[in-house]
Amino acid sequence: MSSVPSRLVRLLPALALLLLALDAQAQSFRVQCPAGTALHPANTGGDAAYDTITRPLDTSAATNPTGTLNINHKLNPLPSMANPHIKCQQLSGGDGFATMGDGTQTYLFAFGPLSGLSNIVNGQPGTTAAADFLKNNLDSANGPVGADGVLDAVKIGAPDGAAYAFNGAIGLVPDVQAVDNQDPTTGNNLATPGTELTGHVDPRLVMDVGVLNGNAPAPMIAIDEGDELFLTLTNVGMVMRPDLFEQHTVHFHGYPNASSFYDGVPDASVAINIGGSFTYYYLAPEAGTYMWHCHISPPEHLQMGMVGQLYVRPRQNGSGDVYTAAKNANDPASPDYLVTKCSSTDLLCSTQVPPSAPVSPIQGAKYAFNDGDGSTEYDVEYPVQLMGFDPNFHFVGMTFNPESFADNKDKYFLMNGRSYPDTINPEPMKTQSSDGVERHSQPLPTIINIPCLNQASGVCGDGRALLRISDLNVTEYHTLASLGVRMHVVGYNARLLRDVDGNNTDYYTNSIHIAGGESVDVILEAKGASPRQKFYLYAAELDHLSNDAENFGGMMTEVNICPSDVNPTTKACN
Amino acid sequence: MEASLSISKIVRRASAAGILAGLVAVSGAHAAVPGITGGSVGAATFDLIATAGNTTQPDGATIYTWGYGCATAPSGFAPAAIAGATCPAGLMQLPGPTLIVNKGDLVTVKLHNSLPAAAGNTSILFPGFKVTATGGTPGVLAQEACNGNQTALANTPCFGVDNTVTYTFTADVEGTHSYFSGTQGDLQVEMGLYGALIVLPSTTTNSIACANAAVASARSYDRGSGAPADFRLASAAYDHASACYDREYLIQTSEMDQRIHEQAAAQASVACSATTGCMTVETEPYHPVYFLLNGRSMPDTVDPNYSPQYPNQPYNTNPHMHPGEMTLVRIIGQGRLQHPFHEHANHVRVLARDGQMLLNGAGKLSGPLLFTTTTSPGQTIDALFQYTGKNLNWDIFGHGAGIKVSGGDVDITDPATQCDANGYFTLGTAYQANNFYEWCGDHQKALESKPFGNVGTGGPVTLPDPNVLANGPWYSGSPYFGPDASARAGGPTPIPPFGTIANDPGSEAGYAFMWHSHNEREITTNNIFPGGLMTMMLVDPWVFLIDETK
Repeated sequence: MSSVPSRLVRLLPALALLLLALDAQAQSFRVQCPAGTALHPANTGGDAAYDTITRPLDTSAATNPTGTLNINHKLNPLPSMANPHIKCQQLSGGDGFATMGDGTQTYLFAFGPLSGLSNIVNGQPGTTAAADFLKNNLDSANGPVGADGVLDAVKIGAPDGAAYAFNGAIGLVPDVQAVDNQDPTTGNNLATPGTELTGHVDPRLVMDVGVLNGNAPAPMIAIDEGDELFLTLTNVGMVMRPDLFEQHTVHFHGYPNASSFYDGVPDASVAINIGGSFTYYYLAPEAGTYMWHCHISPPEHLQMGMVGQLYVRPRQNGSGDVYTAAKNANDPASPDYLVTKCSSTDLLCSTQVPPSAPVSPIQGAKYAFNDGDGSTEYDVEYPVQLMGFDPNFHFVGMTFNPESFADNKDKYFLMNGRSYPDTINPEPMKTQSSDGVERHSQPLPTIINIPCLNQASGVCGDGRALLRISDLNVTEYHTLASLGVRMHVVGYNARLLRDVDGNNTDYYTNSIHIAGGESVDVILEAKGASPRQKFYLYAAELDHLSNDAENFGGMMTEVNICPSDVNPTTKACN
Repeated sequence: MEASLSISKIVRRASAAGILAGLVAVSGAHAAVPGITGGSVGAATFDLIATAGNTTQPDGATIYTWGYGCATAPSGFAPAAIAGATCPAGLMQLPGPTLIVNKGDLVTVKLHNSLPAAAGNTSILFPGFKVTATGGTPGVLAQEACNGNQTALANTPCFGVDNTVTYTFTADVEGTHSYFSGTQGDLQVEMGLYGALIVLPSTTTNSIACANAAVASARSYDRGSGAPADFRLASAAYDHASACYDREYLIQTSEMDQRIHEQAAAQASVACSATTGCMTVETEPYHPVYFLLNGRSMPDTVDPNYSPQYPNQPYNTNPHMHPGEMTLVRIIGQGRLQHPFHEHANHVRVLARDGQMLLNGAGKLSGPLLFTTTTSPGQTIDALFQYTGKNLNWDIFGHGAGIKVSGGDVDITDPATQCDANGYFTLGTAYQANNFYEWCGDHQKALESKPFGNVGTGGPVTLPDPNVLANGPWYSGSPYFGPDASARAGGPTPIPPFGTIANDPGSEAGYAFMWHSHNEREITTNNIFPGGLMTMMLVDPWVFLIDETK
């Protein structure tokens, strides 16, 4: 931490802008992540002193002299009581740098992780359960604490490596000067300030971690159907572009029946100024591969890198019998009826029941959709986001010059923010930022390892990898082709391929043609292949197999048939 | 451009150029699918002209364009509820007039070629129909109309020949179709010679009845602003029970490379006697800088149909709908590029491509559900869209315990008798309620933990201080739906909402969503953001009268 002051000096121009913004209100950075809601109550263990729902604190000194009671005059549930279906995530909106396949350091407008940092650096989604998000940054129970009382994990350059272990919300601390605790006349605290985490954050900690920590792609969001997601976007400003007062938003791309308020379109809603936080709230919709991105000046902010992955896992995962589960969800007589509830007259219904029950009940573990017939079962999933960067645009984007949109021409073709051969580098990639600090800029490799199961005579009998392919290129279409292993296309635009009678309309192919703003769910099957065979997934527009001037690389990665199964967490071959 | 360039700057820019960009008028502009009709049932006759004119762009540019127009006044206009429809004789328009016929009609289209002599012959292709032609002169893809500016030139193939050609075909394929030039399409289609043909199901042999009685009642119910008119061309897109709809919009995507138009303009007055024209226009490398919806760029797309400031671009793209209304989206890829057209707010169910329904063996819909529909050159897509706000886990009307009903809303106390099989509030007299088609499952569920206004409390979130937020012109000022809920929420946030109010909190307070190309570089007008292939779709509360005559 000794070099922090000098680094901060370099960032002073941007910090000055932030302070200006913060003047409007003393404290504008906040997070929201209740331990319990009406839909998902906290587990208080029957303790009557606690509410099952997180409620606002009572602001009356008369009725709440200790400053700890909520408006029901109970204590709010503790993080340890949090309902596991409440998912939370915090993002920075700002800038950063990434490394292209030819070694070029490229400037980004970008989102970075401000929670789930350990998950992110290990290639996992940054979304965490509320109990993991609600971690006091000043509490030594959550890790080693430095002389300033702050967790060592919360520092410039975090996360600092694969051993980094902290997943909590950056900046989250008890509000020691909560208005709730003040004597309205003297301003003195009436009682010892509570230790409750009310969403108050220390902006210094947020800025230490958030400035220049942009990732490509943006932090991954993954939730289960029916989860409540509290996604806080904190606009830390773009240090390299102090001339801009850019707002940012989050657009949940593809969400059915979205609310315009939380849709992230600044024209139709609200946009988040520098120095502010905004918490997006959605009940996770029907399962599928969606995507997310900033919706401020999309031709610019998307091209500059503000794009990320978002998917929803289906409710039928882990259910005893997938057909019964699907049937009950559409059966008025079932207690599960309200789950999806769409009769055959609903032409936009996404989860039609298969026409007949499978011969024997299907009880797999993981599916892409609520298929009811097991047709989208997989063993391991790989989010793959397709994207392109135009180096000229990114260069202009770091300067103060006008940009040309019609002239956009991508020269870097990316899978999960990297080009081949970086796509098969298993480590999280780092890039040195302008302040001299190396940050994890591109945490996600794209190594497709397919398990080889039920082997007979040296040939795989089964083994399935789900590719959750989303495309947020803003200039052109891509054709993604598979050499050797055919693609089983089961979903398109976050919807199961199925007609209104419940018949599957899936198909096999060796290539998919996909536009920015589209997603495809593809299952690659090891059946018929041999262990240790290696195949490739590549852009069939062969000019996309380049890294700017290098005519080799680009949008390409390897598909490996494992000797046996795959570690579900690390996704390495066992 | 600067990243912070805003719509207001566009407006200033456009105003400075003498163009009424008209954002102030947007709250009154709606869409429908306006077009011209061909007279008697069974035989539709159109008299079209291909000629040159000028189109305008919101950056102030005036662009030399060729287009189809009406040679003489058309037999009629549709839908009947749209007043002020025009198709001035001899005036080109972009896109060409939308031709509206019924299935089984014998369609006769007479084309007059009034393009500059240097353009040579021209023609029309009607893909998907078995066309026969009379008059004119043979071309490669179609019989062509001689150039009217050449027919007086002796020793030319067109000397003394009429400058017309007449196409005849039976409209035997329902749905949405494109038509465009079959002569030097590389140049002529780029110059603007394209349009839409809509074939409605037969008026005499339909086997289906579109009888969603509840929605029909709600759609005709007078909520104090007069009885709503019906702006549909028909009740169904196809003679199929799953093709019924309540509103419809036509979306034609295209693009323009200004340099091609400049070259054509420079050579327009070249003397020419060749039927293939005398222009030498470089059409490659193709570098369009304008990306259009129905011939206009944002924000012109949300100005009214037949707006006098766009005499050559009469059609807007401004979808409005009420919750629950089934909306037919007729999409045509004109021009030469594919565009990923992203529909915010919900998926569409694809009904048909090129007028061919996508059905399974049992005759039921098998088209995909898409949130991005790729438009391909010449290809059409018919798709159904509906918005209800289902499953947000909060009541968009701001109902809550103790705040059950106001402003014409009706409380849902007995879902068994008030809510239909799909879970919506439509039964009984629900059609009279302003919260008709509310998703029953979220009734009275609060959004805000502790709101300032009179809406449900105990919800999951706390809204931030409005000072950290910037409001957009289509933001109604609160998360809630409809003027009553917005007022109860404490009124719009006390920050000047962008100077322009395009979604008035006091009367409309709808939910606005962007429908746009997700090749985001295309939502620009000659490098100015915002613009281009973009529009705003409004879901309006039932209490708000959607008047598509504008």
